[in-house]
Amino acid sequence: MKELIERLRSKFNAKNIKEQRKNFVFITVEKKDLEGCVLYLKEFEGYGHLTLLTALDWIEKDQFELVYHLHNYFNKTDVSVKTFIDRKNPTMVSINNLWAGARVYEREIKELFGIDFPGCPRVNDPFALEGWHEIPPMRKDFDTKKYSEETYFPRPGRYTKDNVAQMEEQLYPVEAEVKNGIAETVRKK
Amino acid sequence: MSLRDVISPFNAWKRAFEKPDTIVKPLSEREGSPLYRGFHINDVDKCIGCGSCEEICQNAAIDLVDVASVKAKPGDSGLRPLIDYGRCCWCALCVDICPTGSLGMSNDYTWISENSDDYRFIPGVDDKKWNKSKKGYRRSAESWLVDPNRQHMNEIEPDKRKKNFDEYAEGFTDEQAMAEAGRCLDCGICIQACPTHMDVPKYINSIRNKDLDEGLRIMFETNPMLEACGRICTAKCEDVCAVGHNGKPIAIRSLKRYIGDQTFKKKDEIMDLKPAASTGRKVGIIGGGPAGLTAAFYLRRFGHAVTLYEQHDKLGGMLKWGIPDYRLPADVLQREIDFILRQGVEVKYSVKVGKDISFEQLHKENDALFISVGAQIGSDMPIKGMDTEGVYSGVEFLEKVSKGEKPFVGREAVIVGGGNTAMDATRSSIRLGAKAKILYRRTEQEMPANREEIREAKEEGAELKILSTPTKIEKLPSGRLKIECLKMELGEPDKSGRRSPVPKEGSEFYIEADVCIMAIGQKVEPEFSETIGLKVTKWGTFEVHSDTLRSNEKVFAGGDCQTGPDDAIKAVAAGKTAAYFIDRQLRG
Amino acid sequence: MKPIWNDTKEYDLKSGKYVKIWQGPQHPGITGNMSIELLLEGDEIKLLKTHVGYLHRGFEKLMERRKFINCFPIVCRICVPEPDTNEYLFAAAVEELSGIEIPERAKWIRTLNLEMARLGATVMGLGGQAGSFGLGTIGQWAVAHRDFLLDSFEELTGGRIYHMYIVPGGVRYEIPEGFEGRLEKTLVKIEKLLSDIDKVMFHNAVFKSRSKGLGYIPKDWIEPFGINGTTARASGVSYDVRKDHPYLIYDQLDFNVITGTEGDVYERVLIRKEECHLSINLIRQILAKMPKSGPVRTFIPDIMHWKIPAGETYVRAESGRGEYGYYMVTDGSEYPQRVHVKGPSYTHAMSLLEKLGEGVTNADIFGLMVSLQTYPPEIER
Repeated sequence: MKELIERLRSKFNAKNIKEQRKNFVFITVEKKDLEGCVLYLKEFEGYGHLTLLTALDWIEKDQFELVYHLHNYFNKTDVSVKTFIDRKNPTMVSINNLWAGARVYEREIKELFGIDFPGCPRVNDPFALEGWHEIPPMRKDFDTKKYSEETYFPRPGRYTKDNVAQMEEQLYPVEAEVKNGIAETVRKK
Repeated sequence: MSLRDVISPFNAWKRAFEKPDTIVKPLSEREGSPLYRGFHINDVDKCIGCGSCEEICQNAAIDLVDVASVKAKPGDSGLRPLIDYGRCCWCALCVDICPTGSLGMSNDYTWISENSDDYRFIPGVDDKKWNKSKKGYRRSAESWLVDPNRQHMNEIEPDKRKKNFDEYAEGFTDEQAMAEAGRCLDCGICIQACPTHMDVPKYINSIRNKDLDEGLRIMFETNPMLEACGRICTAKCEDVCAVGHNGKPIAIRSLKRYIGDQTFKKKDEIMDLKPAASTGRKVGIIGGGPAGLTAAFYLRRFGHAVTLYEQHDKLGGMLKWGIPDYRLPADVLQREIDFILRQGVEVKYSVKVGKDISFEQLHKENDALFISVGAQIGSDMPIKGMDTEGVYSGVEFLEKVSKGEKPFVGREAVIVGGGNTAMDATRSSIRLGAKAKILYRRTEQEMPANREEIREAKEEGAELKILSTPTKIEKLPSGRLKIECLKMELGEPDKSGRRSPVPKEGSEFYIEADVCIMAIGQKVEPEFSETIGLKVTKWGTFEVHSDTLRSNEKVFAGGDCQTGPDDAIKAVAAGKTAAYFIDRQLRG
Repeated sequence: MKPIWNDTKEYDLKSGKYVKIWQGPQHPGITGNMSIELLLEGDEIKLLKTHVGYLHRGFEKLMERRKFINCFPIVCRICVPEPDTNEYLFAAAVEELSGIEIPERAKWIRTLNLEMARLGATVMGLGGQAGSFGLGTIGQWAVAHRDFLLDSFEELTGGRIYHMYIVPGGVRYEIPEGFEGRLEKTLVKIEKLLSDIDKVMFHNAVFKSRSKGLGYIPKDWIEPFGINGTTARASGVSYDVRKDHPYLIYDQLDFNVITGTEGDVYERVLIRKEECHLSINLIRQILAKMPKSGPVRTFIPDIMHWKIPAGETYVRAESGRGEYGYYMVTDGSEYPQRVHVKGPSYTHAMSLLEKLGEGVTNADIFGLMVSLQTYPPEIER
């Protein structure tokens, strides 16, 4: 495993190397090096199984992160290759030529995150959503609670009471007034 | 395609002669398993309406609603959970976190109704067929999501600590405070139990968020004497703590002390209190105990000029003269008082109203007066020999100890009484070199002192004689005291709910001692009451309006002198209330 | 690189030679809710497209809004026949990122739970497979026997389908008294069922002639499509997560990986039946070797404000259908940053089925689809 990491570091400028478990390592490469790195791992190092291709939204850094998780059937090790792409114009090279199964992952990421993979067959076909007019839902700026409150309505008739307020009202209303009046004097500047 | 492949499937026909796998009985008879997570049940009397179930429910299926048959009372908010079965997923997290163990699940799973609104119901209140179910999921000790054990604060061992008056409780470390704060369920039932209604869940949360500055500000909103209370408060909040129903209550007092200890050096900076605009009114406060100091602080925040008249040469009241240094060190109390004084309070020390300055003059000079003289005179026992030399009252003894005078205790001291004053007197006399014996007329369970005080007094070597009371005290030629005592037994309950002691005929016994300390109660100084001429009740305390603490147009009174001897936190609450209503009156 | 699959052939839909039909979400032949769009020339499929999305509930987004302890009740709903794998993977990912150790007995009970779930799901899968070829009786037997296993689950965990029993920290509560005896009786019943299924289904002329040679997956398709689980093992690739990356206490159990050579539907179903026997054997081993007493749960303090340090991990387990994986990222707050659930059906049902479907007759496509043991909820979560 260590020699492999050295080779990746020298060939593809792999950074941020983190060994999560004994046979499992995370590396980060630049966007331009990613296709070459993945191809190299597949063809020359035996990492023939694409386990996972997923995306993360780092809205505070204004970036998307793509994770390609590769697995080697022979020596039972995992390498997870990560890369960052720009959030304003997200697009990435498609690897469906390397793995036929990759097209499904790319289609899903296009729909849920909005990252484009030009060259992937049928990438614009809807995957899980139908008739969706909002922003891609897995992005962090999509608020599911707000969407559900605006689109649907809850069944009316529910209300909840706060137990502290209830005890104030029922058991010590005058003292509560005193408490609020006094608290203001400490807080005001 | 062999012959076997054609014939072999006909083996299925043998099933025609076997017993079917399906159940023939009607479905309603099939009972769920004993651990099945079925419909909810709730023991309405055990439930305290804390709202932990509402907070943990991830589907927002639980609401707290008021119920006609349940009223709010101390320790119980009067609300009960309503569960919406349109949203519940039966994960039983609400059952796992319930602090009283009242919420559970039956093993019933069939409920047919044509009206969808039926499926929002209040378990335990609404009449359902599974309410009496004994089987089903209940939370066990190992599945409770709260830690029942409390963090143990380090104390110096009894043998070492009984030799001096240094503070023996070391306070929480950072890890202990985080762990103890992590046990809190944020329910807020304790807020009502505190006489001054401190926002306990909020400042415990500030410990969790490592924002102790905010915790200090939250505490100052209701209590400026927090460092003292963090050491000596009777902690009524801990008595109603939700976790205390099935575990040890959260150590709220010790967490208060932790925040105070960590922030006292930078108190001025954190609180950042700019003086309020002056209103031009003057308020006089008689008595510099917890009630007077609290009132002084908040009246300064309103902008009134405050003058404090204190008969001793140091401020603090019973906190200073009635509590020994090993429980509340003098420098801790003084730094807290100094912060209050820095808000612009003018103090006149060693001034006794009625002797050094007349009440009428104060009445004329100030726009309002607040009387907080406390109840500092020890009550007498109606027995012969009370004025023998060597017999002290508890408060008199402790005042001498606090002044550093080291009063004579000899080799053996007898202390009569079962409250905190008696325990303080006991432990002080041990530290002064005597062996202490405590006489109390009821049993240990009925002693009003804090449980820790009794335990620690015993650890330091005090001997507790329950169901005993002195009947006569004589002085022997050797100079020692001979105390004649009588054994008691418990009879019918009296007004306070405790069983009253009844003397046992013929059970006299004698104890010899060097001193006898009577710590059986306190009263307001009668001469003072006569001097100022306010209405008093039959117990000698000042009579005031119950909400506003007003006695007549200009005079308010609060604290021990108004309620009778009680906790320091009640005095703080009284000082706060008086400050608010004095301000209301002065503004018109 | 030459693509392994060239699906750019255009079909002239107006020529009258082709029929387009939609075998939609409600169909007795489809497992779960998924639809396939077929372009038929006569009886032969020329083009197959899978459409999923009927069961999209947005779990991954939901989990980003819930605290860690509030996530475990919804995780099991991602996969209905075998919910325990999801519960286990979520708990394992959280435990790895937060550094919690679980007691020994909890590991054995979790393995027991997982194997029982595999058994239940695979037995039902055999029934479904038979039903897709028209052998309806076996489906009834299989569902009834799965019900006996659900009774065992109800006794152990308090729920029949969604157990919510494996939590971060261990398992929720102890095994009830006498449970082992009752489970053994159920296992004996299932073994009898399996021997009946062997006679009725596997030595059945109709089943054999329809399924042998159908849906052949050559060995060199395993890598490009990412095939795993029974489907891969039937084609000769011996890949089983329980042996290759042992988790829980699988390294203390004695078993062999079952591999086949033919790679067609018959072989896949045969391997599944053998795996049922393997599961029963493993359950018996677990019950015999389990430590007799001990705690079953590690206490997690301040669970409502539980913060997990920043990190990421990928954990995997072998479910009845293939390799299941959870990729979890935390950022030091009380909520997960990202959880990605990868089920085995993801590649099997979408790209593999579309490739295998070409050239198959309309009647056989369901037998083929069920043999891949796909289950739509884990595709679109």
